[in-house]
Amino acid sequence: MSQVELTLFLESAVRLGIPLALAAMGETITERSGVINIGLEGSIIAGALGGALGALAFEGAGLGVMSGAMAGMLVGLVFAAFAIGLGADQIITGTAVTIGGLGMTGAIYQARFGATGTELSLPTLAPVAIPVLSEIPLVGSALFAQAPTAYFAYLMAPIAWYLLFKTAWGLELRATGEAPAAAEAAGVRVRLVRLVATLFGGAMAGIAGAHLALAHAGTFAENMSAGKGFIAIAVVVLGRWNPILVLFAALFFGAASALQFFLQALAFALAYQIFLAIPNMQTLAALAGWVGKSRAPAALALPWEPHR
Amino acid sequence: MHLISGLLNSRHSRPVVAVLVALVAGSACGGESAETESTFRAALLTSGPVSDAGWYAGAYDGLLLLEDSLGASVSHQQTATPAEFDEAFIAYASSGYDIIFAHGNEYQDAAIRAGEQFPDVTIIVSGGGRVSANVVPLIFRLEEGSYLAGMAAAYMTESKVVGMVGGVAIPPAQGTFVAFEAGVHAVDPEIEVLEVFTGDWNDVAAAKEATVAQLSRGADVIIHNLDAASFAVFQAVREVVDDGAVAYAVGMNSDQNAVAPDVILGSAVIRIADAFLATAQLWQDGRVGGAPIYASTEQGVIDFVFNPALVDRVPAEAVDHIARTKQAIRAGEIEIPRVIFVEGEDEGR
Repeated sequence: MSQVELTLFLESAVRLGIPLALAAMGETITERSGVINIGLEGSIIAGALGGALGALAFEGAGLGVMSGAMAGMLVGLVFAAFAIGLGADQIITGTAVTIGGLGMTGAIYQARFGATGTELSLPTLAPVAIPVLSEIPLVGSALFAQAPTAYFAYLMAPIAWYLLFKTAWGLELRATGEAPAAAEAAGVRVRLVRLVATLFGGAMAGIAGAHLALAHAGTFAENMSAGKGFIAIAVVVLGRWNPILVLFAALFFGAASALQFFLQALAFALAYQIFLAIPNMQTLAALAGWVGKSRAPAALALPWEPHR
Repeated sequence: MHLISGLLNSRHSRPVVAVLVALVAGSACGGESAETESTFRAALLTSGPVSDAGWYAGAYDGLLLLEDSLGASVSHQQTATPAEFDEAFIAYASSGYDIIFAHGNEYQDAAIRAGEQFPDVTIIVSGGGRVSANVVPLIFRLEEGSYLAGMAAAYMTESKVVGMVGGVAIPPAQGTFVAFEAGVHAVDPEIEVLEVFTGDWNDVAAAKEATVAQLSRGADVIIHNLDAASFAVFQAVREVVDDGAVAYAVGMNSDQNAVAPDVILGSAVIRIADAFLATAQLWQDGRVGGAPIYASTEQGVIDFVFNPALVDRVPAEAVDHIARTKQAIRAGEIEIPRVIFVEGEDEGR
């Protein structure tokens, strides 16, 4: 690869990594509270449609992103009502929410824009180059000439890390995920904390979906989330439930995805399925070695009944 | 993820309602035999959303055409996994549907199984490879349109690099790319043709980056064979055009010229609705069964159409050459390379 191609590859890697980073960062907070939200995919696709409809209605991509966050949070609320409110199995509830999210968005899209679909002309989130930083050789334009949602992800990583590990609120959140009985004994309202963490995760996934529709594709298409919710859950594991590491893990995933397209475009005469398997093989390798010693929150996926 | 979306769509969307309504109607007017015999029931199975303004949208239009033109009562279901394919066939066949259009190569094995179980039902598999007495592949010779698109691309490229972005490398999709490349090289053998498969027909992010990767390799005309993800190909081309470059996308499967009129040079078209109508009429005449049905430029089902908004940029020589080649293909004077996947079909046909 030439210097120009390498730069383009890195830009592509960051573009593919940002939606994963946003969704995975939200899921990190959710999982730290003891809730695994497999319904993340449903929040992402709802965010994509909410973002598209919001951008059209308010004639602006910024308000579109807000609408996407709201839509993602709404889907998160549905998940929370069953998984936290009723103590239903989180895996089954999450799967149902994903299925429901993909179906509802498809039905709404077809009702609004016609059954056979069309490309929407959405107000898009244009990349904003940050002066000086975007001039850095090689990585500058990749990292600092992106859509505003990318900068939001960069900022959220340290903020979420600080909240999680340096504040009393973060301690309570982690306690509900590790030892909910002890947390309750200490006066923490376990289900409320989990609800807030799940809504936050839903909103972040909604922003990820809005980013896909408004900053990346410039349109909505049914099923456009294409499994990113599930990949984001893998990214959380790869990032050891740490928002900053999760950001890097997401960019790593983005790079792996971008690599497959660049290798194919370079006309390597190999079966393309091998390139498509690269991110998954990299993940397996990383999980086997680098992440070997980390572990999930102890109470992850366990429903909680208050004892009062 | 296809599994999940399929599950869901088959449960929540109109199709199921349509089935139910049909059942109720059927039982309600059971006594009036004249009423029920005057029409037939047609069903459509797709494994992706019909809102793709392309491959599946064309089939959905075809289903509606059967309703409007032939008075058929119609129903559509979206399925994804092989298990759902079987269930959908059984559901339609056992509730009295006469003809089932299974719109994709992926249905071929389930169609054969269902065909054995329900000998009275006729199953038409778009791009299918397997044939039985009541399971019939409907083969679109999209290679012919794709070949013409390749010629158009060859005339328009300035960089002498063109690209192809595909979803999954199933034989009918590979066939369109083989023919596109042949069309390019028929005009100029020196042109480089890039190929990327994303592994997903609807993943817009993947399609966008695959297109960006090809544009960055210097490609300036990009054809796709995708479903809803095709929108991202048009968007990626639009972004470089907005930056002042000259680049074009080529539509596929349906006439997509109006989808992105600012960047689409033309479309390799299947008039799927016409093909469905013709097939249903053949079936009404009792002439469907045991052999594949072919739809090509000969019947006007396959075509390449320039985008009227951009055709004035195309040299007259190119328009003329493509029109003459279309005639030659129709007359059988030019052999378009294909990927053979229909059983019993040899290289000669």
